Amino acid sequence: MKRFISAVLTVLLLLCIPSILHSSKIFPYDFKIEVLENGLKVVSIPLDNPNIISHYVIVRSGSRNEIEPGKSGFAHFFEHMMFKGTKTMPREDYDDFLTKLGAGTNGYTTDDYTCYFVVFAGKENLEEVIKTEADRFINLYYDEEMLKTEAPVIEGEYYASVSNPGRRLFETLRDAAFEKHSYKHTTLGYLRDILDMPNQFEYSQLYKKRFYAPDNIILLVAGDFGHDQLMEYVRKYYSGWEKSNYTLVTPEEPPQTRAKRAHYDWPSRTLPRLVIGFHGPAYSDEKIDKAALDLLAETSFSRSSPLYQKLVIDEQKCVFLNASFADRRNPYLLVFSATLRDEKDLSYVEDEIFKELERLKKERVSEELLADIKSNLKYSFASALETTDGIAGSLAQFINLTTDPGTVNRLFDLFEKVTPEDIQEMCKKYFIRTNSTVVTLSGGNAK
Amino acid sequence: MKKHIKQTLSIFLVTGLTLMMSACARVSPDRLSCELLPVEGSPMVSFRILLDVGSVNDPPGKEGLCQLTLSMIASGGSKSLTYKEIQKKFYPMAAYVGLSVDKEMSVFTGIIHIDNLEKYYTIFKEMLLDPGFREDDFTRIKTNQLNFLERTLVSNMDEQFGKEILNLMMYEGHPYGHNEAGTVESLQKLTLDDIRAFYKEHFLQGNITIGLAGGYPSDFPGKVMDDFAALPEGHIPQLSLPEQRTPSGLEFIIADKGTPATAISMGFPIPISKADDDYFALWMAVAHFGEHRQHLSHLFQKIREERGQNYGDYAYADHFIQGRDKFPAQNYCRQQQYFSIWIRPLTNTNRHFVIRQALRELKKLVEEGIPEERFELTRTYLLNYTRLYAQTLGERLGWQMDSKYYGYKSFLDEAQKRLPRITHQDVNRAIKKYLNYENVYIAVITQDAESLKEALANNSPSPITYANPNMPEHILEEDKVIEVFPLDVKPEKVRTAPATDFFQKAGVPEK
Repeated sequence: MKRFISAVLTVLLLLCIPSILHSSKIFPYDFKIEVLENGLKVVSIPLDNPNIISHYVIVRSGSRNEIEPGKSGFAHFFEHMMFKGTKTMPREDYDDFLTKLGAGTNGYTTDDYTCYFVVFAGKENLEEVIKTEADRFINLYYDEEMLKTEAPVIEGEYYASVSNPGRRLFETLRDAAFEKHSYKHTTLGYLRDILDMPNQFEYSQLYKKRFYAPDNIILLVAGDFGHDQLMEYVRKYYSGWEKSNYTLVTPEEPPQTRAKRAHYDWPSRTLPRLVIGFHGPAYSDEKIDKAALDLLAETSFSRSSPLYQKLVIDEQKCVFLNASFADRRNPYLLVFSATLRDEKDLSYVEDEIFKELERLKKERVSEELLADIKSNLKYSFASALETTDGIAGSLAQFINLTTDPGTVNRLFDLFEKVTPEDIQEMCKKYFIRTNSTVVTLSGGNAK
Repeated sequence: MKKHIKQTLSIFLVTGLTLMMSACARVSPDRLSCELLPVEGSPMVSFRILLDVGSVNDPPGKEGLCQLTLSMIASGGSKSLTYKEIQKKFYPMAAYVGLSVDKEMSVFTGIIHIDNLEKYYTIFKEMLLDPGFREDDFTRIKTNQLNFLERTLVSNMDEQFGKEILNLMMYEGHPYGHNEAGTVESLQKLTLDDIRAFYKEHFLQGNITIGLAGGYPSDFPGKVMDDFAALPEGHIPQLSLPEQRTPSGLEFIIADKGTPATAISMGFPIPISKADDDYFALWMAVAHFGEHRQHLSHLFQKIREERGQNYGDYAYADHFIQGRDKFPAQNYCRQQQYFSIWIRPLTNTNRHFVIRQALRELKKLVEEGIPEERFELTRTYLLNYTRLYAQTLGERLGWQMDSKYYGYKSFLDEAQKRLPRITHQDVNRAIKKYLNYENVYIAVITQDAESLKEALANNSPSPITYANPNMPEHILEEDKVIEVFPLDVKPEKVRTAPATDFFQKAGVPEK
């Protein structure tokens, strides 16, 4: 019977997914926002769903916050330390709590934020989850030995990561493209800094004090619960937490004035790769720049674009081609990536990408194509909202960017306003040779 | 009132579902069948077109043919549309055709908003029923498959590479014994005529199950069934598989490559699958020992949490592919299964120690069983965690299909019924019956394979090194035992080969 009720409730969840395209809002669910006196922001999205709740803690600190020399990768390392428990609930007990709950749980670190999620069944467990997570964030405890034991895990993770040439390529691109801003390094950080992590116990305490504080954190909960009930628990367990009042000042990246180039020689056989990065704008749901560029990435480099069809399908020079203009809090890179079949075509593909960007400065994209892109973006976003976790996960990165879930609807409204002229203007503004960094990777002769 | 509406809705749904299901049963082994999961009001429709065809159906010498043929359908043009035109039409709908190919089962997948159902299905249907099989698609897709084997798998994916070597070892001379992508040698010989012949031979109604979930119109399944009934009647019977080969002692294959980190996979065939009663007890044992990417995993606790050796260490009671998040993917069902351990990359210096540690933990599991408190913890965990398995339409439909394969109405419901009835003794009995630590296949990817071989064969002590100079005393005490834990490794059972020699030809490379 219980199963049956669950199945019916599942159906009810799906019943309540509205037809996105006929709605004025791309994010169709109601949400509520409250801020505690200590600055902790709570975003709640109650859903009529099958008894599943997604609990996300968004710490607005990522590798962007690693502004001091020797500290690259620290946000990610600290994410690992966050699983070490507290004095009242040591790691083993915390693990057992999550295990009994049967929760889907983990953490991840990005350039701009670190996120911890617990997805679980049973709204009767909500209070315990809030209580336990609040305890972990407020009272995290580990000693120097625990830190020294955890540090080599990052080294293993680094090796696993850089066995992928794509990761190595991006690491090289960021290091070459940025001079001052902390986006220069990846979230894993430089190997030399990772090897020094066992000696960073004191810094880890400082890091916690600065960034793991209510005024730098957003709690996002989506699923089967009542808002008032949620807030009662949040106030009960989070009110005693003190603010940090720390203000991070990230170094300003000076304008790039000369074209840059780097190459990575991969030690074994691999497909050759190419990335071209241009310094671009930060995320915004008000200024047209980033929205127009996002649409350009799709019109000119997606699977249906003429250049993709030429290089991947017709000429078969590439096995992969795309443009990725990630949303970041500070100005970041507009990146074009290609994976090729043959090393000898690297300069040809590079030329083709630059030629396409020059063409886009002269010729406007068609209204019809632009309409297709807008349609694609809407349907793509809609399909990500199938589960509570999909809803919370999709929203987490937007909430990090502006602290306001309403930014999603504003962004899609902005997409609607973008014209072919806007795209052309942005091409002229950002895709300048002297603003570019080209990185190639190849290898394969070594056995 | 609310209760009344819910009850009415429930009755409507169950009645509707029952009617749909009965309309769908396979009337003969040579005809189509379907699995339906109607969800009225859902704006999405999920497709799963399941084929009882996989890499076991590759003819000898033509390894990789099944995957290449199905990729020609999922990533190539139809008769009326080139692949370029399909991509252009799919784009505004954010649509795609997905494909996964396993040993005995393959599935085409898609999810589409109801707004675009008709437009999407028209193309989807043509791709599967009237594939274009054009020369340019063939060249592109075959080259991609070759590149995957030659350059990606052995160069850029050490963790997957280790699992594939384990597969080669477990299934030498067995229909499971080659990668779904084939070998470099076999792929190079394949022609477009091979593709056409494979399609003709295997795209038979009796090999196909039409899976649909979501808010499709009530007449839609009938329309799809009518369209697919254009395929010839008939079926390829399920292959009768030879007996699985049990390893004789500890059998190693070490792939040599310049790498700072060692990847390890180990395991052996087991005679049970989800279809067997004993599976539930074994599942609990293995969840305790190495639940995938969860702190519950005992191996994770010993190797990563206590010693910080790597990112994670897990074990599996059957073939496991990660789907959404960390949950198991569906439609990878097999007649024969295997138990495995996955040790994620760790520094080369501690590789011998960790191999010893994993085998010692396996020995302890076999000899001592699982502690009572861990038994209860694992049961509670599985009862709750499996409630998260089937959330999307595609997942629910996939589980529905897999349940049928293993003989259940719903495997996940069955787990809710059976797990509470399993006793601690059942679990320990299953461990003794199906697991062992003496006869294990072990695949290692590392630098300087010969030195590891020598160390293994000589049973050389392998002290571990730590960044932390003040490791807890109880860990150091245990380390002293692990570093000399005897492994009965015969030199002739340790094969080494350069990483680049793998997947060139069928089987394990000869040195």
